[in-house]
Amino acid sequence: MTTTQTARLLRDTPVRTDAQRAARRRWLIRGLRLSGVQLLCFAVSAGLFALPLVYLLLQAFKTYPSFLKDPTGLPHPWTLSNFSAAWSQGDFGTEMVNSLLYAVVPDVLTLILGVFLAFPISRGWFRRSNLLYGFFVFSGFLPAGLIPLFGEAQKLGLYDNQVGYLILTSLTGAGFFFFVGYIKTIPRELDEAAAMDGCGYFRFVFTIILPQMKPALATFAIFGFVASWNNLILPLIMLSDSTLWPVTRGLYGFFGEHTTQWPLIAAATVIVAAPILVVFAVLQRHLVEGVAGGAATGSAGVGNAPAAAVAAEE
Amino acid sequence: MSSSTTCPFGTRRTRRWIPWLSVAVPSLGWLVFGLYPSLATVYYSFTTYSGLPGTPMTFCGLCNYRDMFTSNYSQLSQAVVTTLEYVGGVTVLQIGLGLGLALLLQRRRFGYGLYRALIFMPQVFSVTIVGVLFSLLLDPSSGPAEAVYHSVIGGYSSFLGDSNLAIWLIVLVNVWMFSGYTMLVYIAGLRRIPPEVYEAASLDGAGAIRRFWKITWPLLAPSTTVNVFLTVMGSLGEYALILVLTQGQYHTQTLGMFMFNTAFGVNPDLGLGSMLAMVQFVLTAVIGGVLLWALRRREVSL
Repeated sequence: MTTTQTARLLRDTPVRTDAQRAARRRWLIRGLRLSGVQLLCFAVSAGLFALPLVYLLLQAFKTYPSFLKDPTGLPHPWTLSNFSAAWSQGDFGTEMVNSLLYAVVPDVLTLILGVFLAFPISRGWFRRSNLLYGFFVFSGFLPAGLIPLFGEAQKLGLYDNQVGYLILTSLTGAGFFFFVGYIKTIPRELDEAAAMDGCGYFRFVFTIILPQMKPALATFAIFGFVASWNNLILPLIMLSDSTLWPVTRGLYGFFGEHTTQWPLIAAATVIVAAPILVVFAVLQRHLVEGVAGGAATGSAGVGNAPAAAVAAEE
Repeated sequence: MSSSTTCPFGTRRTRRWIPWLSVAVPSLGWLVFGLYPSLATVYYSFTTYSGLPGTPMTFCGLCNYRDMFTSNYSQLSQAVVTTLEYVGGVTVLQIGLGLGLALLLQRRRFGYGLYRALIFMPQVFSVTIVGVLFSLLLDPSSGPAEAVYHSVIGGYSSFLGDSNLAIWLIVLVNVWMFSGYTMLVYIAGLRRIPPEVYEAASLDGAGAIRRFWKITWPLLAPSTTVNVFLTVMGSLGEYALILVLTQGQYHTQTLGMFMFNTAFGVNPDLGLGSMLAMVQFVLTAVIGGVLLWALRRREVSL
């Protein structure tokens, strides 16, 4: 007996026939091809989409002299000083609070106002509910109103103040297209039963309709939050006092101020990107499903592009 | 609808007013901050107004239109050309890349959720973050793109400072940022195609490429409609990213950027800016209309 034969006898697995061996080979080849595909997927997603951010992160740990000496290499020595410098020079703490305020307040108000607008229309309580709906949709195709909005804000005293900015962003009344269709899926019998039991209208909307719409509202709220947090143009136009700036505006200013000090700018960018990255990591599933499930309608409302809502509805 | 279409809430007296009350506040907000600014753009475009406190707004008829279509016509046509280049580039690349990624990552396999999430990730960042990131990567004196360019192609490029290159680089940044969205819409579309169709085609001896052109591509038509429409409309109105990357210099001044620079730049001119917003509106309406018509026709014919 040769050693290989002994080894074969000692093994628990049965001796393979040729057919089994061929099957095994096919399985191996498939496995190899699969891992090849895995490798490709990993290379594309990590190399093209994550690597730029990793590169940015690495720059943030460099001292300025070492960056100048070797701009594209690894940090040597590593330092944390850029983060503290960026934090104190950029005033990002205040700006984070502002950002949070500018993202949460309009988000919540838009949701509630949107439901109050959508509910009677989707129930058909007005003689021309469909016409009204069509009119709201149509208005989204009108010219962008950014410039008159700026003039209006100045006249109404909403320019360059926090409350004014919140009013401007909370009352644009979006989100509504998305809700009209959704509310139609909530049975009318619920309204009638609740009304019969003496439930008031506002109480009904808050305690029955809003909880019923939780999945839709959650998706809308996430997309709305991200859109408001990331808005650069509106703060750029409406807020000139730097203590009122949100982080996106703050980083834009910081970038302009420290143009070539890349380690410092990289640190500031990491600071600004971190919270939204955490939000993304936690809510990633919602966001991804939201896109697939047609939440495009929801995000479009906040992003002032109701055209997208219409496209996605079809 | 058999049941009543009147509001069941409240007493007989309040019943009629409750729906109106419900829509009153949101509608008022929308009228003041949504509809009014949109319509006022038309009026603003017939005026001269710097927007600076204390300066008057004077009606001047078609002055802005006359100026733009005569003495400043080259600037306007350049902006329109740049916009079309931008929209065309973004749409072709983003649809191509999004579809490619979707075909690669459509299955439910180990790790694919993470890959999809990584590709979708840039979308949640603000244009400021993405703009700064790519300004770093494309920095002509110390960025990695410079190092690669120098060693592979040789010579030097100023990248975002190069008038022939800048707009196409911004196209790439835009595609990097949003192709995850296109991919997800396509994946949803791919998963709606019944597997039996592919099995039947395989039995008939159709190869992978044939299967793609004869089955996948036609059956993805609704997803393509959504993706093309959203991408074209989104990139037509885009200027925040361009603002961070080049501020419209080096032949990157799209119509939106031109509007922003005119209205809020060094010599603010809200009248002229509004006129450019009107041009943008007309361009968007025409392209959007033609696109919807063409995509619909295509869906039916496939």
